[in-house]
Amino acid sequence: MIGSIPLFDVLLVSGALFSIGIAGALLRRNAIQIFLSIELMMNAANLALLGYGAALGTHQGQVIVFFVIAIAAAEASVGLAIFVALFRHTETIDVNKINLLKW
Amino acid sequence: MERLIFDAAALLAILFAGLMIALRDPVKSVLALVVSFFALAVCYVLVLAPFIAALQIIVYAGAILVLFLFVLMLLNVGPEKPDQDRRPIQTVLGSLAVVVFAGMLLGMLRASGSRLPALPEAVGVDALPDPAAIARLLFSDYLLHFEAVSVLLLTALVGAFVLARGEDAK
Repeated sequence: MIGSIPLFDVLLVSGALFSIGIAGALLRRNAIQIFLSIELMMNAANLALLGYGAALGTHQGQVIVFFVIAIAAAEASVGLAIFVALFRHTETIDVNKINLLKW
Repeated sequence: MERLIFDAAALLAILFAGLMIALRDPVKSVLALVVSFFALAVCYVLVLAPFIAALQIIVYAGAILVLFLFVLMLLNVGPEKPDQDRRPIQTVLGSLAVVVFAGMLLGMLRASGSRLPALPEAVGVDALPDPAAIARLLFSDYLLHFEAVSVLLLTALVGAFVLARGEDAK
């Protein structure tokens, strides 16, 4: 099909964004940046879902992405509240320094 | 034309996502991710989901990332210090995991790539799907899930309030 986007390219972009998200989540030490990387991975998954939904000609992909965005909003509010509470306790959000539950 | 815009937007999204994890200052990191999400919204329009693209800009870039910025300003977190407490083994293993994962993903895509269908061609604005169709699906087949999400959001609201309230308020 000339002029339209192959699903392969959509999945390639999605995979690249997901890999960048994994790199951020594994290599950064700032808890907020790890959280941002997780948001990026969710968006990569959303792109794959929308690509498949469009290629298969249904609206189900968009409905699932709608739910993912709603849950991401809930997750962000709770996660950030945890960071605020943690910062009050330890004065840092560097994940290498937070080892209260480690041993 | 569609193809060109998709490639440019995808490239921009990947570029700023890379910038997001490369920058040490978390505030700049959030701003890079905002740009990346705007570019992704363009991609969403081109994969025939204009409603989700609007949600992406309003909810993700507009609300969630602003919440991140808000908390960053509140906590006053500075840039990551480069040289304290290095953990070389973790860095090496982490990089290895990323490379292996990306390689596996690419290998899987290449193995099934020729069998994947192409997206249907959208000609003009009229060919984009109607948000009413999504709403009809949401309030019929997915009604239970929709209500469950509303309860979840309420729970998250109460949970965030309890967690962030602090010790002295008790």
